[in-house]
Amino acid sequence: MNFDLTEEQQLVADSVSRFVSDNYHLESRQEYAAEPGGFKKEHWQTMAELGWFGMPFSEADGGFGGDQVDTMIIMEEFGKGLVLEPFVPSIVLGGGAVKRGGSDALRAAILPGVQDGSLQLTLGYAEEQSRFDLNDVITSAKADGDDFVINGQKSMVANAETASHIVVSARTSGGQMETDGITLFLVPADAEGVSMDSFPTVDGLRASEITFKDVRVSKDNVLGDVDQGHGLLHEVVLDGILAHCAEAVGTMEMLYKDTIEYTQERVQFDHPLSDFQVLQHRMVDMFMEYEQCKSMLLRATMEVAASGVDATRTVHALKHLVGKQSIFVGESAVQLHGGMGMTEELRIGHYFKRLLVIDAQFGNADYHLQKFAA
Amino acid sequence: MDIDLSTEDLAFEKEVREFLDGNAYKPGEDYNAWRMGWFEAAREKGGWDVPKWPQEFGGPGWSPTQHYIWQKETASRTTPWDMPFGTVMLAPMLMQYGTKEQQERFLPDIRSRKVNWCQGYSEPGAGSDLANLKTKAELTDDGQHYIVNGTKIWTTAAHIADWIFCLTRTDDSGRKQEGITFLLFPMNQEGVEVKPIITLGGAHSVNMVHITDVKVPVENRVGEENKGWAVAKGLLQHERTGIAGISNSIVALENLKQKAGTVKRGNGSLMDDPGFRKKIAELEIDLMATEFTELRSLASASAGTAPGPESSILKLKGTNIQQRTNKLTMEAGGLYSAAWGDKTAGPGFAKAGTAGYLASRAYTIYGGASEVQRDVIAKNVLGIKRSGK
Ligand SMILES: Cc1cc2nc3c(=O)[nH]c(=O)nc-3n(C[C@H](O)[C@H](O)[C@H](O)COP(=O)(O)OP(=O)(O)OC[C@H]3O[C@@H](n4cnc5c(N)ncnc54)[C@H](O)[C@@H]3O)c2cc1C
Repeated sequence: MNFDLTEEQQLVADSVSRFVSDNYHLESRQEYAAEPGGFKKEHWQTMAELGWFGMPFSEADGGFGGDQVDTMIIMEEFGKGLVLEPFVPSIVLGGGAVKRGGSDALRAAILPGVQDGSLQLTLGYAEEQSRFDLNDVITSAKADGDDFVINGQKSMVANAETASHIVVSARTSGGQMETDGITLFLVPADAEGVSMDSFPTVDGLRASEITFKDVRVSKDNVLGDVDQGHGLLHEVVLDGILAHCAEAVGTMEMLYKDTIEYTQERVQFDHPLSDFQVLQHRMVDMFMEYEQCKSMLLRATMEVAASGVDATRTVHALKHLVGKQSIFVGESAVQLHGGMGMTEELRIGHYFKRLLVIDAQFGNADYHLQKFAA
Repeated sequence: MDIDLSTEDLAFEKEVREFLDGNAYKPGEDYNAWRMGWFEAAREKGGWDVPKWPQEFGGPGWSPTQHYIWQKETASRTTPWDMPFGTVMLAPMLMQYGTKEQQERFLPDIRSRKVNWCQGYSEPGAGSDLANLKTKAELTDDGQHYIVNGTKIWTTAAHIADWIFCLTRTDDSGRKQEGITFLLFPMNQEGVEVKPIITLGGAHSVNMVHITDVKVPVENRVGEENKGWAVAKGLLQHERTGIAGISNSIVALENLKQKAGTVKRGNGSLMDDPGFRKKIAELEIDLMATEFTELRSLASASAGTAPGPESSILKLKGTNIQQRTNKLTMEAGGLYSAAWGDKTAGPGFAKAGTAGYLASRAYTIYGGASEVQRDVIAKNVLGIKRSGK
């Protein structure tokens, strides 16, 4: 066992950290969020040029052959700046599905573009009724000659309005809740019959409701095997959870540190707030929960990197712990800032809102506790 | 001791229901006209427009049980929009500390809801440490006016209020709590500048208020000069019981169950989800106890006297319950709790659920932050003395 970063990993961590601290101040972030698509295209290109997008892809696919640990390093830094660019949807989720399930031809057609930033992917897995269950799929895909025809709707799809392709889970057989009978497709976003309704999310990012009406895709665009997409989706979602939890851990670190700094500056009753023992204890708890989440993040990330889906239970544990404790840290940061914590002027409120959204993604704390206990 | 309602109480309950149903808002009706009419009708019932006011000032003189019945019945129905600043907070202070002239001048418009008030307490340097306030009021040479200068922050509804009750400093030579003076003045005048502050849910409810050379006649002072702290504190106790919002929580919890019941899970709804059910049950149990803590405090406080330190207990418990209710409502929204724009899918309550949760974080900050409230209970209720103090 070894917790040290390799020399290359340290270089990446430093370069992401520098990028975030140079570019992601609260005001500039709000400006990027207001741009069409909800992020800054130049940053997207810069990230591609710095090689970050190639990290989790194999050398055969043109990447650097990294694993979940490399993604974790990037995401933790992104969490500190509330980075808006769609790294998780495109690289971790969409890219993760294509690299695992795409044919040689499809990988060769798509992955270079994903890594140089000219293509942007996303994943449509949830439906209006499905809440957090990946197996609850009504959207259907019917074989028709060499094509499949997709009909249905996908919910809360991240950054879909700027995406070139959407990875979609659809039912090719079986009943609504069956794990068998789900197939993943790579659907060009400009395919006929794809329409979307896009809107901001409370954390300043963007999502879409997507409707598929008689959308025709070639069977060459099937990812993995027909009817067997659930396992592939599960693997991809594990990576997504790890990435978002790494982001949350970065965010939690900023929250507890900002709170320590603020309470040392703010004076009430002729004392800095940090003199009050009850606040000291609360900050100690914030710090401890951050460290616990970080430990669980390392544990889950290394386990998944080593043994894939066999580490699922640890990922449930991680998502539960991060969901629960990141909200504790966020609520505490707001509470200890008093009225200032309730405003949009300080970054802590923005961190807090991002953590709420992360909790609601891929199953909240309660959901994963039940999965873990089951 | 028994829990049954007496025959008289049952008759009262029926009367309350008849009143509320008879005066319910009818779709299409002019809202404001209905609102004013509702308060008027409640007044004619014998002070039902100001349930907490003492009888000598036109209140109904209800027993604790009657208050309980009123709260329960009003909470489950739509009653007109109201703000606490006038009727709940300022009015009892005018009754206790105001002159007869002040009572005659201000109480009628507070009661009819014609005049909206806001609370000018907090300042950038005076939050929990309210007595640290610096907004200065200087008496003019002729002794007829105060000239007020300073900045108030977090002033709820300052942008829609007609008047402000404002804590000012008239003496800074002694202890901070001495030298505070309680003044009333209109908002709509030169020298009062209101700037919005946007809070986490994107709402505009609080403001920064800059006060420059505002001239306030001495008749608008409540209580003696330099003795405003007693008025300020008395008012806060009334504010706190209001913030606890127990009866609203009873309704909010029912609404939450109803909303969760519309969220499909497998063959049932979110209300069949064991994790969610358990959290709702825990909330309900806390609420049942808090409801009776409130009743006990109502019973012990003889009508008209200020609520005691129990108001701190109710504030802590009540706000915790409200925050948990809001959190569960947000959770019920699931994935859609993140949606912030105009979306076409998902549960209709999702966005409001998240906004409500964010707004609820302030409940443990305003009206005395929870940490400071615990200090108050330790000191005033438990009598714990700190050495060296
Ligand atoms: C939505 C909203 C509406 C409001 N409306 C009004 C209004 O209408 N009128 C008005 O006058 N004010 C209003 N306020 C202001 C409110 O009363 C103050 O925010 C509150 O008193 C706390 O002060 P502060 O914000 O300066 O926080 P601070 O006093 O700086 O407190 C920050 C944190 O430190 C803790 N703390 C402070 N002192 C101690 C101590 N001695 N021991 C332990 N912990 C301590 C607090 O509990 C809190 O967690 C409103 C505030 C909000 C958020």
